[in-house]
Amino acid sequence: MKHKLRLMTLAFASLPSLAAAADLGIDATSLIRLEERSVPGFKDENVVPATQFLGVDLDKLGDGNLSFHLHGWGRVDLAHRSTDEGTTDGDLSYAYLAYRFPKADGLIRLGRFYVYEGIAAEQLDGVSVRGDLAKGFTASLFGGAPVRLDITDRNKGDYVVGGRVGFRVPGILEIGASALREGNTDTGQTADLKNYRQLVGGDIWLAPFRMIEVRGHSSYNTATDGFAEHSYLVLFQPLKDLSISAEYNDYRLKDYFASTNLRSLFNPDKGETLRSYGGSVTYVIAKPVEVSADYKRINYHGDSHGNTHRYGGEVRLTLADRKVRAGVSYHRADSSRADVNSYHEVRGWGLYDATAYFASLDAIAHFYRQSIDTRSHDYEFVGSAGYRILPNLALSGDIAYGRNPRLDSELRGVVRLTWNFTSTSKGAAK
Amino acid sequence: MRRIKLLSLCAAFVGAMALTACTHVISQETSLPSSHPEALGEGRVDCSECHEDKIKGVLKPYASFSHTPVFVKNHRFYAGEDGRLCGVCHKPSFCTDCHANELEIKPSIRYGNRPDRELVHRGDYLTRHRIDGKIDPTSCFKCHGRTNNEQCVACHR
Repeated sequence: MKHKLRLMTLAFASLPSLAAAADLGIDATSLIRLEERSVPGFKDENVVPATQFLGVDLDKLGDGNLSFHLHGWGRVDLAHRSTDEGTTDGDLSYAYLAYRFPKADGLIRLGRFYVYEGIAAEQLDGVSVRGDLAKGFTASLFGGAPVRLDITDRNKGDYVVGGRVGFRVPGILEIGASALREGNTDTGQTADLKNYRQLVGGDIWLAPFRMIEVRGHSSYNTATDGFAEHSYLVLFQPLKDLSISAEYNDYRLKDYFASTNLRSLFNPDKGETLRSYGGSVTYVIAKPVEVSADYKRINYHGDSHGNTHRYGGEVRLTLADRKVRAGVSYHRADSSRADVNSYHEVRGWGLYDATAYFASLDAIAHFYRQSIDTRSHDYEFVGSAGYRILPNLALSGDIAYGRNPRLDSELRGVVRLTWNFTSTSKGAAK
Repeated sequence: MRRIKLLSLCAAFVGAMALTACTHVISQETSLPSSHPEALGEGRVDCSECHEDKIKGVLKPYASFSHTPVFVKNHRFYAGEDGRLCGVCHKPSFCTDCHANELEIKPSIRYGNRPDRELVHRGDYLTRHRIDGKIDPTSCFKCHGRTNNEQCVACHR
């Protein structure tokens, strides 16, 4: 007992010295929105939600390899409710301890965090371990409880486990195999659903020549016995300033949507297949001017929603050591079926970011083939200006005005106070 | 007492063997740095402006990770294989600006002062989602299929 007491006293006594040795980073953004919503046939409504985002990073704890990371937000509605839920809300995005090993990119995390490993993209309360092995192999494992949504208790399973193993040939190849299982998921009133989510998959990066790269992954749903997804991208860079890409995606919706917690929206029972393919070209004409064009064809095998062409282009300017940035773009979604609408999108924006002052303008408009609620188009203008009171403390404000099929007019103001504090000058700020 | 000594000896032997195995099984390559050594300007970075070789650790050319329009649109492939490289320059909160279990504000409103960032659902997306959802529901599913769909439930019950 005395021994335990001594250990606890020692642990508590060491906390201040641990904290003193640590590098502290704080990112805080306070945001107040002032919105006037004018719905046809209803009284105008004012909403004033005040939101605080907070991120804390404590690095170099203990032996210097331990760190703690936290991020979340909280909101209070100061006038009418801003959502259909209560007047307050909040969420903890992540809060975890991480231990980075000096070798092999070894990393252990404990707490709430996100995992992106192969086919897995999960938020969980648990533990994850990863590291590079000898001879080009890599391995990662994770496990814990999936983070649930507020809407109901039964929108996620009781546990989720998974991992990825990879093999790399330097500069030429990386292949990976990953798996994921979420257990005791809610089957609702659908009796023939499995009460688990289980995916296996593979991913690849291949660069057979200096100019060509292939990236992609496939996943197989073992709960429904079918391939859920094949997504592959080929990149071709014949010149330093020219890059050409081609993509192919194949989804079997019965297997891809099987694990949704919103079955009324993502209906996997239609049994359709969706395939899309396309490509893009990006060319840097001169250092400040980048031009890109893209095309994508989306085909339903079941033809319930018809087939669609999506295409467009963008010109971006980057001047004065990135202090001035601007762009114009046009995109089109062109559906072949009369009962699925099509639209043109036009956007232009510009930004000036000097040491003390910064300002931007952004305008976007959509023109619909068939009018929606008697309106054939929508638009929104956003103007923003800000001042850096200190190098790490900035006050900015936005004014946005728009009209759209839902609202006669939408006027929004945003006041934003951003504070990014870091106690160390080593390394770039993230 | 002799048994305890024998067990301790066995444990020490097994431990030494495990340690030796680990030094052979685990890569001896130095880990990626926890942050980029020099400050980078805002906006899309081009790694190949300064680097020419392969990135230690991920063993791929720097040019592969230049933030071109194709990279930005397809960053999921990069994150799935080399997420730890993203972490050198980006905090996890950079990802959760868009990919979250529950998103408070549309990213384009939260960052209304950053029109240069590739943020989803600009303008009146509430109207447009009815079209995009029919054209390609898989693009919705990636973010709203299992998470961040509390607002979807308000209408799609």
